[in-house]
Amino acid sequence: MKYLLQFERSLEPLYKELEERKKEEKPTIYTEKKIQQELQKIYSNLTPYQVSQIARHPDRPHTTDYINALFTDFLELHGDRKFGDDPAIIAGIGNLRDITITVIGSRRGYTLKDMLSCHYGMIQPEGFRKMARIINLASHTFKSPIVTFIDTPGALVSTNAERKGQIEAISEPILALFKAEVPVIAVVIGEGIGLGALSMSIANKILMLKYSFFSVISAEGGASILYNDKRKSEELSSNLKFTAENLLNNGIIDRVIDEPIGGAQRNRETVIKATGDAIYSELEMLLKENGNKLKENRIERYRKIGIYAD
Amino acid sequence: MNIFKRKKKIIKVPIVTEEERAKPVRCKSCGRLISYAELKKNLKVCPYCGYHFRMTAGERINLIADEDTFSEIDTEVKAVDMLNFKDVVTYKNRIKQAKERTGLDSAAVTGKAKIGGFDAAIGTFAFEFIGGSLGSATGEKITRLIEYAKKRELPLVIVFSSGGERIQEGIYSLMQVAKIIYAIDSFKESGGLFISILTNPTYCGTATIAMAGNVVIAEKGASISISGPRLAKQVAKKNILPKLEQAESLIENGLLDIVVDRHLLKSTIVRLLKYYNRRRI
Ligand SMILES: [Zn+2]
Repeated sequence: MKYLLQFERSLEPLYKELEERKKEEKPTIYTEKKIQQELQKIYSNLTPYQVSQIARHPDRPHTTDYINALFTDFLELHGDRKFGDDPAIIAGIGNLRDITITVIGSRRGYTLKDMLSCHYGMIQPEGFRKMARIINLASHTFKSPIVTFIDTPGALVSTNAERKGQIEAISEPILALFKAEVPVIAVVIGEGIGLGALSMSIANKILMLKYSFFSVISAEGGASILYNDKRKSEELSSNLKFTAENLLNNGIIDRVIDEPIGGAQRNRETVIKATGDAIYSELEMLLKENGNKLKENRIERYRKIGIYAD
Repeated sequence: MNIFKRKKKIIKVPIVTEEERAKPVRCKSCGRLISYAELKKNLKVCPYCGYHFRMTAGERINLIADEDTFSEIDTEVKAVDMLNFKDVVTYKNRIKQAKERTGLDSAAVTGKAKIGGFDAAIGTFAFEFIGGSLGSATGEKITRLIEYAKKRELPLVIVFSSGGERIQEGIYSLMQVAKIIYAIDSFKESGGLFISILTNPTYCGTATIAMAGNVVIAEKGASISISGPRLAKQVAKKNILPKLEQAESLIENGLLDIVVDRHLLKSTIVRLLKYYNRRRI
């Protein structure tokens, strides 16, 4: 375990003990059990803010890990045909078992160099336009279902991005997803924030990992707007109702993919496999519908969202 | 259903109190003092430097619609607190205060009017109602206005003045952006003309919606951006504050059709409506 979150600090001596015992070639079963018990204690009582920290844990599987593990013959496609190729968006075609799928996901990068070129997963205008192009390719040409993997802090905020038309570019994948005459499944695997996440989430089925979140704004961003004080993030997190459980309860999403105690960062293979299974079973259902009906369903679904008095 | 059944005249509630009216206003740009009467006569534009002061929804409608032609629709759609949200004050209280202060029930005023003699569907964001932010009620009213325009084959004019998504409504607010973007696209596909007017400020998802106009107009000096100033500061590490984009720089980057002085806004809209009315069908 490379990285412990603040509320997991009580595990530190246990992990140390485990390492030492391994070094001394002593039996570790008892220590492992103690770790599991402590994890159970921590994970059975998480606050929404803690969930958002787990969602951003650096050891959680990234979009690229899901693609590598779940899809065979993945062929990556590049560029928006207008300006550039945003590395924060990965797109291509591959097979999930016997179903050929167009995959689109946000990428944060593993090495510092990658993280910088991906802007830590923040999407540029060329990223939004690349998504729109690939969505249309899936809908018009390859007639393949679309699966999106969402793990982004949002749209990139920079003067350069504004000049390239950030505010306009965001609507392109939104419209392309609305109009796609193929099944669309969106999976939130980590953080899903703001317009960046929205642009990839217009789907027939929205799935979320248990310790992911989907929010109008990051708790930190919201706290600086509403309180002008970043330290209020924790309080705001409880108010935003952004966890998978909250969003399932209010009908915004369709399914929560379970994560074992300790989160996806400690159970990478199990969670990746469960995600593949969930996508496959949802697709089996959606593939029975005709393309136009799927499109109508998406339009109807979003038209109804909103709570107001009338 | 008769959509005009609940029609009422445009809100006359003063946002400026009598006391404030008596006091001169200091221009935020040049610092000069201007009497309220003078400012109002000049359409809330500083007579010295041309700075465009913010207008209320009522003032906007009066500026664009021909006199006594506006009839409001969907007045029954009202903002509510569904998440039990609380920041500095509770959201319930925030709504209540905004209602009392503005006489509005959401951050959008929508309806039908004549503009230069042409029938049009017209809507405006009300910055005075919780920063013109896009909540469910506002999103629903804007969506219904677009659908109203499509059904009656009316040109559509929307004035934007909004800090972006309403955080107090969480994910529901974000989803309004998608809902409206689809409605606009469907309206445009049917051959409709959507004249979008960006005023100071237009931020975040609202800016994305505004960019969907067939013709996109911004008022002089309007601040337009993917994020508001506080968020930009929070996102940009070490306080490297990305300069918020002003209308004048965005038009150079090809993002806007026209940047206008407020005095020419209505005549510009009317010219477009005239051309649209002459289309060969
Ligand atoms: Zn001035």
